[in-house]
Amino acid sequence: MASTVEKTSAVAGQPVDRETHFEIERFLVREARLLDQERLHEWLELLTPDIRYLLPVNEIRYRDDTAPIGTATGTHIFDEDYRQLEMRVNRMDTKLVWFEDPKNIARRLITNIDAEWTDVPGEADVYSTFLVYRNRRQRDETWLVGAREDRLRLTDTGWRLARRNILLDQRVVLDKNLHLMM
Amino acid sequence: MRPVDELILEDGAYQHRTLFWDEEIYERELQQIFARAWLFLTHESLIPNPGDYNTTRMGEDNVIVIRQDDGSIGAFINSCRHRGNTVCHADAGNTRRFTCTYHGWSYGRNGDLVGVPYENEAFFGKLDKSQFGLRPVAQVASYKGLVFGTFDPQAPSLETYLGDMRWYLDAFLDVPGGVELIGPPMKSILNCNWKTPTENFGGDDYHFGWTHAAGVAVIGGPLQMLSGNAELPPDVGFQVGSKYGHIFGFIENGAPALQLHEEWRAAYAAWIEQRMPIMVEKFGPTRARFYGGHWNASIFPNCSFLYGTNTFKVWQPRGPRALEVYTWTLVEKEMSAQLKEIMHRSNAATFGTAGMLESDDGENFEECTRNNRGYVSRQDYYYTGMGQGHEGPHPEMPGIVSEVLMAETGIRNFYRYWARMINGDDWSRIAVPATSPLTKVRVA
Repeated sequence: MASTVEKTSAVAGQPVDRETHFEIERFLVREARLLDQERLHEWLELLTPDIRYLLPVNEIRYRDDTAPIGTATGTHIFDEDYRQLEMRVNRMDTKLVWFEDPKNIARRLITNIDAEWTDVPGEADVYSTFLVYRNRRQRDETWLVGAREDRLRLTDTGWRLARRNILLDQRVVLDKNLHLMM
Repeated sequence: MRPVDELILEDGAYQHRTLFWDEEIYERELQQIFARAWLFLTHESLIPNPGDYNTTRMGEDNVIVIRQDDGSIGAFINSCRHRGNTVCHADAGNTRRFTCTYHGWSYGRNGDLVGVPYENEAFFGKLDKSQFGLRPVAQVASYKGLVFGTFDPQAPSLETYLGDMRWYLDAFLDVPGGVELIGPPMKSILNCNWKTPTENFGGDDYHFGWTHAAGVAVIGGPLQMLSGNAELPPDVGFQVGSKYGHIFGFIENGAPALQLHEEWRAAYAAWIEQRMPIMVEKFGPTRARFYGGHWNASIFPNCSFLYGTNTFKVWQPRGPRALEVYTWTLVEKEMSAQLKEIMHRSNAATFGTAGMLESDDGENFEECTRNNRGYVSRQDYYYTGMGQGHEGPHPEMPGIVSEVLMAETGIRNFYRYWARMINGDDWSRIAVPATSPLTKVRVA
């Protein structure tokens, strides 16, 4: 792994090497499985302490008229730091989240993974797309499709997620909530 | 549809379950409520300059709200007068014209039809364009920045319509510099009737400790003890029902209580403390309390907000069993950028689309509607009799005020006015507080 760190600064913007790509892909797949299995404390361990976790609102605008209007300067459905994400995990631990009992299902399919070195040694920009299937109660069912722009950082204990920007491909979120990590 | 006096019984304490399912009742609501009442459109801060616009809905009608060249605000039905196509597909923007994508008719900022392709060649110059402007919303008005519209030219003025509630609203709208909404709004769906979240946000302090047991536990702070109804809340608040169906509940000193963690609560509390002397001077100690407290509130029929938590919502009906919710963040204009960001993030984390408390509510709301699918289930009534008889006029405060915090006073008030609107009563009768014809008693 030390050798990986050394070569990053020389190849910023270039696709990562085959071995690194494999590590990153394993990281994302494992992350998805931990979330599917509600192993949320293990998921938290995959995050850096300075993580920023974002999901911006997609305002529908005309192509040639994109400047913010008035106080509509930007809204995020998720704009969270480690403390907030930990609060969400702790909330599930209380066993007082009534609508999560009986358990709801979320199945994450992660694909189209592409990774590039950045100008920060040991950090890669990782792009992926997702399909999340949710099934709740008797027949509540939704599919969420989107993409993620991640910054992964190689640490002493392996790759960690330092930033995630989620692009959810819906203006009106066609679900009663986004009470899940994507 | 049953007669109105069989839909709402005992002064609003019982609501027939078909109110939350029936297509015929819903069509009547579109006609008698959404085509008559003042509906929230936008905030002035969201369209400050000429040509700035937002699109939204009034009931199921799509509308454009736009800042005119003279600085006033106009609103128009977002549908071409020729064949009905949508003339604006964006959420927001700035434009001189709206041009229909079907045949190219175009409309100015004031709704006038200004361009018709082949006007001379095909219409032989005989089209009277002045007859084909975008349909205007009959009345548009702003109350201290909050912009509302009504399709009813006979509706009383917005100030009259807000009525007694203004006495309470002013306690934060009149802060130096005023308030603004931060957008763009989050939008998501709920498969529930639009009245359920409106009554909940306006007048349900009963659900808070139980529905939100988990969120309240991890957010901590002064409301933490309410988690799981572990303790009865100290009796430091009340519910109000006011004329035209507006409702709210108030918790003393609670404004920052649901900011996400201690640091953010402290930042907001410091702001309030610094501003409070100005508010006391302006409003006196009784009303200045409202500035430092937490409110859950609904402006009839479908606009809700939580002052303190600073979420601001419209529940846009989409049939009797579904809605779209739009969510903005309410802030004071003179707050620092940093404090505004705290408000905006805290709102998203609590009552946004992925909000920890919002998701608690949504599940309940949907099931409350869904169960009316059962024919037998919906022959029954819902019950909101809590605190009946322990409410009334107050020596200092307008409206019907409850004796204690946990009371369904406001919810009963909401349904009394719902009944009057649905009944098609004239505005002069709607304005007069009266219980008749809602005195029928439920027969078990």
